Amino acid sequence: MRETRLWSWHLLVIPIIIVLLGAHFAVMHYAPVFYGVSVEEARNFETMIERGKSVAQLVLYVLLLAAALYHGLYGLRGIIRELPMSPALGKIVDTSIIGLGLFIFAFGTYVTWWTFSFKIGG
Amino acid sequence: MSDKTTTPREITFRVRRFDPNVDAAPHWSEYRLNVYDGMTVLEALHEIKAQQEPTLSWRSSCRMGVCGSCGMFINELPMLACQTQVLHLGTDVVSIAPLPNYDNVKDLVPDLAPLIEKHAAVKPYIIYLDQIEIDEPTGEFLQTPDQREEFSQFTHCIKCGLCLAACPTVATDPLFLGPQALAQAYRYTADNRDCGLKDRIEAIDIFHGPYQCHLAGACSQACPKGVDPAFGIQLLKRALVLDSIGFGKKKSSVAKVSPLADVVKQIEEFAPPPRTVGK
Repeated sequence: MRETRLWSWHLLVIPIIIVLLGAHFAVMHYAPVFYGVSVEEARNFETMIERGKSVAQLVLYVLLLAAALYHGLYGLRGIIRELPMSPALGKIVDTSIIGLGLFIFAFGTYVTWWTFSFKIGG
Repeated sequence: MSDKTTTPREITFRVRRFDPNVDAAPHWSEYRLNVYDGMTVLEALHEIKAQQEPTLSWRSSCRMGVCGSCGMFINELPMLACQTQVLHLGTDVVSIAPLPNYDNVKDLVPDLAPLIEKHAAVKPYIIYLDQIEIDEPTGEFLQTPDQREEFSQFTHCIKCGLCLAACPTVATDPLFLGPQALAQAYRYTADNRDCGLKDRIEAIDIFHGPYQCHLAGACSQACPKGVDPAFGIQLLKRALVLDSIGFGKKKSSVAKVSPLADVVKQIEEFAPPPRTVGK
């Protein structure tokens, strides 16, 4: 793929991250306002599971995971690929980072889905 | 030319020497020289070679900042030796080394092959839609002053390679195309006679292309011709992004061939006003 598209996405996800991370902070730090529980209670397992059952939560965290992973791993690739290396090694780095990104995304999505579908008490 | 009417000042020149046939590693040699007001580093090197060290090697030609041959690392900054006056440096000891970020051929001679190879890789020439018209022109391409202004400063590049020597990204990533080649890629892409961005994309839209620029701006500071290659890289990014989303240069905006008769007619239309004095 053209580097321009990869770089453009790297920049385009920044506002997405800002909005979604803002929503995440709002959920965590304004729990008394949104959920009627204290900030400490918002971190409890039961509260988290209850919160995770919302479709909006599911979408928010999967999108945030995708955007933050892409932004972070593109930056990491830039740092690593700047080291002196052969084109072949560069391709290995690219492939490894794509693999790492897909693995973390799959794992994060699984955890989010698990929380969404968790049945309290059995 | 040196002004020998003023009192000379003794300056010590620390020159980095290296002869691959003799030396295992570069070393520094010192030469003392009486320097007159106006004497350039290049003139000083000629004096040292004539009077003290005949084996000293460097590359130079025009002596007037046009050919770009005499780029050196003078007092830790990339400069043209012919444009740098010794007394303007303001130091009693002047260090002269070959340009960094290049292999060293001998003494002050850098191997500029990477500069030339990167320059050639971006296809630094006008690529027109109709190759037959390029091979056998039937007229001329018209270009307005505004169209010319879009890339004008980048035509001043003399390929001296100082920008690559100054670039911190080239220092860590030798495959980075560098400010010279990328600014030239923009220079031709922005030309209204050119429609060759598609042909250049393979060479420039890569990891080691414009997005590796760290925006240090050292290239623009080093350029002896006042070109701003760092700005050229940003303009190239814009052109690439617009092209990638389908808003690149349209074929309709590429210059059309104007038969010579029409060109003459247009030149007459832009003729200067009639003389009002000295008739």
